[in-house]
Amino acid sequence: MTGQQEVEDLLREFAPQVLAALIRRYGQFDACEDAVQEALLAATRQWPGEGIPERPRSWLLAVASRALVDAWRADSARRRRETAAALDPTDRAPAAGLAAHLIADLAGGDGDDTLALLFLCCHPALSPPSQLALTLRAVGGLTTAQIAAAFLVPEATIAKRIVRAKQRIRDAGARFELPGQPQRTERLGVVLHVLYLIFNEGYTTSSGPVLQRADLIAEAIRLTRLLHRLLPGEAEAAGLLALMLLTDARRAARTDADGRIVSLADQRRDLWDTAAIAEGQAILTQTLGSGPVGPYQLQAAIAALHDEATSAAATDWPQILALYDVLTAIAPGPVVTLSRAVALAHVHGPRAGLALLGTLDTDGRLAHTHRLEAVRAHLLEQAGDTTAARDSYLRAAKMTASLPEQRYLELRAVRLHQPRPAQQPDQASHRTP
Amino acid sequence: MKYMIMMFGGLGAATQNRSPEWIAGMHQLLMKLDAELKESGECVASDALADPSQAKTVRFVDSAPVPTDGPFAEVKESLAGYWVVEVDEERALQIASRVVGYTEYPMEVRRIMEHSAQP
Repeated sequence: MTGQQEVEDLLREFAPQVLAALIRRYGQFDACEDAVQEALLAATRQWPGEGIPERPRSWLLAVASRALVDAWRADSARRRRETAAALDPTDRAPAAGLAAHLIADLAGGDGDDTLALLFLCCHPALSPPSQLALTLRAVGGLTTAQIAAAFLVPEATIAKRIVRAKQRIRDAGARFELPGQPQRTERLGVVLHVLYLIFNEGYTTSSGPVLQRADLIAEAIRLTRLLHRLLPGEAEAAGLLALMLLTDARRAARTDADGRIVSLADQRRDLWDTAAIAEGQAILTQTLGSGPVGPYQLQAAIAALHDEATSAAATDWPQILALYDVLTAIAPGPVVTLSRAVALAHVHGPRAGLALLGTLDTDGRLAHTHRLEAVRAHLLEQAGDTTAARDSYLRAAKMTASLPEQRYLELRAVRLHQPRPAQQPDQASHRTP
Repeated sequence: MKYMIMMFGGLGAATQNRSPEWIAGMHQLLMKLDAELKESGECVASDALADPSQAKTVRFVDSAPVPTDGPFAEVKESLAGYWVVEVDEERALQIASRVVGYTEYPMEVRRIMEHSAQP
């Protein structure tokens, strides 16, 4: 018997290489991707019981090639029935022969193939949900079922999303190649965004009983690490990797034993992953100043300042505010303003933060979301206005569609119901009802 | 047999005069019960609905459907969440009783119709 994890690690590593080899020879991304998925499923079924074959990559190639030939045969048989045309005998070439050619191709394959695949799956013509699903399947080597489990949707939904995504890629005339400049920078931006979305999908909902969400975080970090290795000179790819590591380092402390959200200020810092923090810091130190500074590097630098503080009180808020000022200058947006208001409140007092939040009330992008209301509630509480803070918490609780967030906000609202010092959650247990 | 166990109400009204400990206890009970029902395989589906204040109701007005803000029922009668469990009636009532025993607020237990003809 072979470990399930060992099998999955191998499959995820080889999936894009095998797919790239098939595409380079046959040029049909759509059919090749289906064939590789079939090979992955076959390996998932067979390897854990029968053991990993001696040359796993060749095994995958052979099975994928056979699947491809079978699909073509089925296809041409259907066409033959439809058109009564004669079948060209050359497409009966045995799959084993095909695989032999491909193995030669594989030897010459390099990281550029994986990169080209990543660019193709993150094609701008696709909707973000399609980009995410296709990237995880074609580059990440996940099965449709695994992706469905991670996104908490039925398998058929993901399967349809992937079919539609590949159709759009075909319609857009996208090619399996690295885009040249100047498109490349823009396209890299989309790739980074897709990887960040995968990370956030896992991170923002990883609380509670839904454990498989952690897989999305691990997969996002693995793919970003791969991208950083292939493009070491791209400062923003490095910045994104650092941001993920420095953020995910706090995961164990983000929820308590009951799955409830713990705010950053109240987190047990001894639960933070020091190895991940050190790695994130090292990447960031190497990167900052090596190229143009971008939003991911800045957000990583902010995350690093939080991670470096030995207590919430020791947080270097002036430095964080300065970084948000730069972020506002190069990549302004309502979410940045929201975070900047928090930093501003810590440096210049809650009223200054609330005044900045006020500017967002007329911003249609954020005006009616629970996030704005939740930050306002926190700042009102800091300002000592418990009545307004309670109303704001409750409003935010009613607006959110996230159950853990709703419970967190409701609890904060109720805590303010009877007047008492707000910053000491411990007091609750000493109170006599 | 499948049953739907339904909770009603919206945020704020039901919990206004409760202590933080009581609310935290309710959250804990619901999470624990949900985990238990999933662990035992009795739970077929469960969901919590966003607050009824966020709901829209589509009504037929002047020969056309018109969406308006707000829930169809009164907030305290508005569906808040449900479990679909594959159990017998006794067990379904037992599950609902565990929640009602804490919240003191009524829950409804309804049999789900079968798609096949019954033997």
